[in-house]
Amino acid sequence: MDDNIRSREIKETIDKYPEVGRILDEYGIGCVPCSVGSCFLSEVVGIHNLDPQTEATLMYRIEKAIYPDRDIPEPKVDMTRKPTQKKINYSPAVKNLVEEHVLIKRLLAMIPSITDYVETSAEVDKDLIMGCVDFIRGYADKFHHMKEEDILFKYVDEQGEIIQVMYKDHETGRNHIRQVVEGTESGNKAQIKEHLLGYRELLTQHIKKEDEILYPWIDRQLTDTQVGELFQKCSAADASVGEELPRRYEKFIIDLERKFLKEVSK
Amino acid sequence: MSDCCPGSRTMDFSEKTDQGDTETGQRQSQLRQWPIQLHLVSPQAPYFQEKDILLVADCVPFALADFHKDYLKGKSIAIGCPKLDSDQEVYVEKIKSLIDDSKINTLTVQIMQVPCCSGLVQVAKAGADKATRKIPIKQVVVGLEGDILSEEWI
Ligand code: SF4
Ligand SMILES: [Fe+2]
Ligand SMILES: [Fe+2]
Repeated sequence: MDDNIRSREIKETIDKYPEVGRILDEYGIGCVPCSVGSCFLSEVVGIHNLDPQTEATLMYRIEKAIYPDRDIPEPKVDMTRKPTQKKINYSPAVKNLVEEHVLIKRLLAMIPSITDYVETSAEVDKDLIMGCVDFIRGYADKFHHMKEEDILFKYVDEQGEIIQVMYKDHETGRNHIRQVVEGTESGNKAQIKEHLLGYRELLTQHIKKEDEILYPWIDRQLTDTQVGELFQKCSAADASVGEELPRRYEKFIIDLERKFLKEVSK
Repeated sequence: MSDCCPGSRTMDFSEKTDQGDTETGQRQSQLRQWPIQLHLVSPQAPYFQEKDILLVADCVPFALADFHKDYLKGKSIAIGCPKLDSDQEVYVEKIKSLIDDSKINTLTVQIMQVPCCSGLVQVAKAGADKATRKIPIKQVVVGLEGDILSEEWI
């Protein structure tokens, strides 16, 4: 493929050729909704760890979509190859981060019920909303995101676009929560609803990107020595906040589920 | 040894035609310590301190052509056979001591694909369970013809 396409910002390519966005989507590469979109196509495809055959076919289809008139040799499909769909094997520290996502997702699952409740009750239940804000700030942000930002992301090029997107998501999340707090203080239900739902949408995509793409990509680059070191650093970070903190937040979620949960989505 | 054990079933792959590239030149050994047998090593030996450790089933390095280059390099090693070695409680204690006293960074357990060889992973896990420190443990399963069947953190 033309280096021109490979090293052009993905957003620019998708805007110009929407078909490219649709093709990427078909391969489970979700660049279209990404807010930054300044990754290069080569970087985007590389990070998804497709098997060479799939990657060749994908690149062929993209090139075809951009230059329909060009004579591009079709990649030969080797039918004897099995698809390389393997279960992801996270290194232990990364696995713990994935497990923390599960608790965060339990809150995300309840957000629509919470915003419905806020809308229909006479007065904004400040304790409820501020409890959620405390979970988001204390657990999702301080406890979890800080390990990503201060420890995990240091193992790869932090200036790389992909990590920059993650930082941007964390920041956008913090802005949503500031708005939720503002809405709670002024009793503005619409503001609470908009930003809690916005946070939910953001974090759902963010966690999916981390679980399926970013974390496995980082893991693939770590040496065994780094895996051990990363594990010790994360354990030390956990120890510094104490065992009580994650337990307290888990209890918060369990109590909230008693009140709001119709169905647990893990 | 019982005949029903698949681990000792006789197989011959001398017919294998693909011999790989004819190699020239000399390679360096990546071994940086002695002794290596798990009964003989002291878990407090300086070569274990804070290192990444390989716990290797005896048969593995014979099957795995690039053992030195791909696995031993940069690591310290202990070897044993979970089927034939005696006093394996000592092994469990030594693993525990490697983790707690020598503060090893990671432990990679390399075994053959035959069922009884997985006993070495059980030994490693038992030692790790007894230890108060926690460390990442990886399992690598090697096929009889030297292929890597799986490699994962457990
Ligand atoms: S148990 Fe493992 S190390 Fe022992 S003889 Fe069998 S294959 Fe070799
Ligand atoms: Fe994150
Ligand atoms: Fe995360």
